Amino acid sequence: MKSASLFQSLRFRLIASVVSIEIIMLSLLVWNNISIIQTTHTDRLRDTATSMIQQIARTSGNYMVAVDYATLEAYLGNIIDYQELSYLVVLDRDEHAVIALGKFPTQPWPVLEAHPAQVRDGVFDVSDVITVAGQPMGRVLMGFSLSLMDEAIRKSRTRGISIAVGEIVLTVIVTVLIGLGLTRRLGILAAAAQEVGKGDYSIKIPVEAADEVGRTASAFNYMVTEVSNRTRQLEAAEAQSRTLLAENRNLVHTSLNVQEEERKYLARELHDELGQCITAIQADAESIRDLSRGGDTRIKTSASAILDVSSRIYEVVHSMMQRLRPGILDDLGLVEALKDAIAAWQERNPDTQCLFNVSGDLASLGERINITVYRIVQECLTNITKHAQAGNVTIALSRTTDRLLLDMKDDGQGMDVSVPRSGLGLIGMRERVESLGGEFSLDAREGEGLSIMISVPLVGEEAQA
Amino acid sequence: MNIPDDVCDKPSGICMNISQWYVAGIRSAYIALSFSLLLCFPVIATTGENRDCQESGPLVFGVLPFISAEQLVFRFTPLVDYLSDKLKVPVRIETAPDFVEFARRTHEETRYDILFTAPHFFTRASQKAGYRLIASVDSPEMWAVIVVPKQSEIQTLQELEGKRLATVPPLGLATLLARKTLFEAGIDPDVDLDMVITPTHDASLLSSYHGVTDASALMQPPFEAASKKVRDSMRVIARTESTPHIPISVAPWLEEACAAEIAALLVNMGSTPEGKAVLQHNRFTGYRPGDPSVYESLDDLLSR
Repeated sequence: MKSASLFQSLRFRLIASVVSIEIIMLSLLVWNNISIIQTTHTDRLRDTATSMIQQIARTSGNYMVAVDYATLEAYLGNIIDYQELSYLVVLDRDEHAVIALGKFPTQPWPVLEAHPAQVRDGVFDVSDVITVAGQPMGRVLMGFSLSLMDEAIRKSRTRGISIAVGEIVLTVIVTVLIGLGLTRRLGILAAAAQEVGKGDYSIKIPVEAADEVGRTASAFNYMVTEVSNRTRQLEAAEAQSRTLLAENRNLVHTSLNVQEEERKYLARELHDELGQCITAIQADAESIRDLSRGGDTRIKTSASAILDVSSRIYEVVHSMMQRLRPGILDDLGLVEALKDAIAAWQERNPDTQCLFNVSGDLASLGERINITVYRIVQECLTNITKHAQAGNVTIALSRTTDRLLLDMKDDGQGMDVSVPRSGLGLIGMRERVESLGGEFSLDAREGEGLSIMISVPLVGEEAQA
Repeated sequence: MNIPDDVCDKPSGICMNISQWYVAGIRSAYIALSFSLLLCFPVIATTGENRDCQESGPLVFGVLPFISAEQLVFRFTPLVDYLSDKLKVPVRIETAPDFVEFARRTHEETRYDILFTAPHFFTRASQKAGYRLIASVDSPEMWAVIVVPKQSEIQTLQELEGKRLATVPPLGLATLLARKTLFEAGIDPDVDLDMVITPTHDASLLSSYHGVTDASALMQPPFEAASKKVRDSMRVIARTESTPHIPISVAPWLEEACAAEIAALLVNMGSTPEGKAVLQHNRFTGYRPGDPSVYESLDDLLSR
């Protein structure tokens, strides 16, 4: 777990990456340098040997012709002091050694090498023919010790490796310091972002440098300021919206109440005034019909027609009164009113089976709850008739200790709730429920029916009932 | 026997005293003997039937270091190659660091089988080490010249007094001949002028050509071989007496037959294209049978 977090650390990855690259590149560099050094040294020794032996061969010619070995030996005696020179042998035309200086080998003479890289015995053996005017006068054999060259290469290699190691250590130190500084400031940024996430827009990150992190910190501060301003504006707009919404809801609730009161008033007026008149007309029409019996038939016919018309008017008025304000709701309560309404709907929709279940004591729920539940059931049934093409409808009305629950389901074609609706039915239902402090929920999918659930809190006497 | 005190060769203007006349007689006899030998050896030399030289092993051809070693090798390699090829035995060139060392090796060491040296050195080699003359370069006699730049005011030897005269090393023939000529002109070269020693004839010539010295003494052949530009810029103010040309001798330990074989090869060299090419390379017209007596007068030159 610890190692996992270690590898997730930007600091660790940064340092590990830089150090890895440094090690790889420096290793390549050191290897390359060592190769170059080795090549340079061996080439230098080869060139030195070639140059020296050619010069000696060229210079020795005159001495060989003059058989002036003493002078030649004196001359070569200075050359043998050269540090890398191990031995120097001058052979005459009969391969007899006429001059032998240094740690010269014994016959047979050593195998010659073309390049120091071919040396196996630690001595680079070279030879050149001594010629004068194109005529061979002998041969020079020279041996160059590789010990000095090997020592120089070893020192160069040690120096190169030391420099590489030093650079790696310095890189680690610098990278760690930079990484610490960088990740510390990134940590500050992360912590600040978390605070902003919690809603604290007052936070400000100190801008310590003008580098990328510093610019990020400046951008972050600017962003926080902008977010703070925008948030305040949104909060103000939201508060205003909430106020407007509350007012609208209040207006809607008032409108609904007024509508219900108006409906109730109209129903009462229709019952009290128009109903009485129709009853009086019917009574007078029956008296006229009774008095005209045996007399003029036209009077009787007219009286019967008046009775028919008045009966029709009464039915219309009664129907209007039921729609405006079902009297049964006031007279027999919510359950009976719903049963009556469902029965009337069932008569109009005989192909759809509607099951109504009631549980709990639903008496004395209060005027507002009764009319709200009644209107919702009424609206739902109307919608089912218009849109659902359902085969079965289930209506469950129940109450708990403090809430009234309504659950209406149908197995119709459902609806796509994401598609905006032009009608106000659902909105009216939601507003009615929320005006009572309740909750309204709709669950529908296309082809899978529709379900509406409401939950209305019971308060005061409603709850105690 | 009536021997005249002086014998003068009128056409040549050369006069000999009695001893010289006596030497001339011996010389004639020697030449006759040499010719008789040479008449026998050409066939032997060309058929390779004589194996004396082969039995002598590798032969060393000692050359007086009168020019640089490189020039010596360049100049005499064709000759030694020719001899090697004909004798069927390796012949190698050797020289010495200087005249003194060459003379010492000639006299004290059994080093040089064949000796190619200056005429005056041959006489000493013959006397001290027993070298035997087998041939001479068949060219007119040699002499030394004393030259000055053309624009020089020096016209006579006497005008060299107090001047700087470049010469070859003291034992060089040119130096000895020039000294003798100066003495004869009443000039003591050790007192009246400054003798500047240079290593070679060319160096001697170029020293006055470049104005380092006032005059140069050198043998006539190298003067003639100098570049035309240099030669034309110089004026000869004196000519020394003549000396016989280069002698070629052999060491006393070499078999007579081998010596005769070598002599025959040299004398008959001009008879073959191969030999002619060698002679042309050396700028020699040929070799003639050796006559020791012609070199005896040079003994006096060395004793000065």
